[in-house]
Amino acid sequence: MTTLLDDLLNMEPEEIWRRNERPDADGLRDKTQIYYGDVNEGDELPKYIYKPTPTHLFRWSAAIENFHRIHYDLDFGLNHDRNPSILVHGSWKQSVVPQYLKDWTLPNGWPWQARFEHRAMLVPGDILIMWGRVTSKYEKNQMGFIELEIGMKTQDGIESMPGTATVVLPLKDGPPIPYPFVPPAD
Amino acid sequence: MTQQAPPPALTPEVQAMIGVSGDVVESWGVVDGEYMRRFSQALMDPDPRYWDDDFAKSTRYGELITPPIMVSYLASRIRPDQGDPITAAFEENPESDGIGSVERPGELPPVPTNLVRVLNAGNELELYAYPSIGDTIFFQNRYSDIRERLGRDGTPFLIITRETRYWNQDDVTLCITRASTIRR
Repeated sequence: MTTLLDDLLNMEPEEIWRRNERPDADGLRDKTQIYYGDVNEGDELPKYIYKPTPTHLFRWSAAIENFHRIHYDLDFGLNHDRNPSILVHGSWKQSVVPQYLKDWTLPNGWPWQARFEHRAMLVPGDILIMWGRVTSKYEKNQMGFIELEIGMKTQDGIESMPGTATVVLPLKDGPPIPYPFVPPAD
Repeated sequence: MTQQAPPPALTPEVQAMIGVSGDVVESWGVVDGEYMRRFSQALMDPDPRYWDDDFAKSTRYGELITPPIMVSYLASRIRPDQGDPITAAFEENPESDGIGSVERPGELPPVPTNLVRVLNAGNELELYAYPSIGDTIFFQNRYSDIRERLGRDGTPFLIITRETRYWNQDDVTLCITRASTIRR
């Protein structure tokens, strides 16, 4: 059972970090399927906790070849752009979203859609909490659609990426989710 | 004295940009395991479906997959025949932000507006299939929506949405991304 978001936000940063539920490779290999019928409105998804350092930011810049200095050049960030520090990339945050939805729907569900905004500047030293909560569910074309509220909060409860998502889970006795995914006609 | 209403931001010229598409671009190179390794490690996604060949064959995908929107970054790699835009950026401006004026293939023509301040207004992702190692990636940008809104002071501004579709050599759509910006 995941730690509730509200409870996490009442904890000290190091306690939040200890509640990290990001799976390792074996956890993803052995992930058991969550079915549509297992999910209820109000359920919270596991919390992925991150502690970004300047080295993490540099690694992301290098991986995607994003050379914008605000992400790795502290002097430039402070004195040119007047930022509070080097900044966590929006591109990293938006890549965590499909990863998070993929992991939750593995092995046979599908992380279909997400919509979100980038708010707040995140900096090394922040503790970041990727979270999700079920807001509604419905069946269509023998597939189970789950609507989620999602976001990435800091340890202080500041929401840096408010959004929503739609994922697809199989019905217990239903057919496989089509792959490549084919959304139902409206 | 009567105050004049500010001119509309959504002029006929701006509205005409809705649906305008860029060129179809074939990305440089292919989806490769080394790019994927660096990307997934930087993302901190240790999924064995990305790197354990035997395990990947036992999954519903039957092969290694790659992270869902990785292609959106891979596709914007600077091509080796594009010169050295970083050095050029700093020659042009020693205080360059590191991006300079790198021209990306497939860019859309600018929206004809005098509103120059740009703010991020949100993103959307639609996922259809995971890219495979060896895939050739194609993409195309288009202005999918432009709307006018009024600020608190009654001044109109624009919300411009740029959509990018990514697909592979078999014409399978992999993902669609939409990035909306506010122009004030």
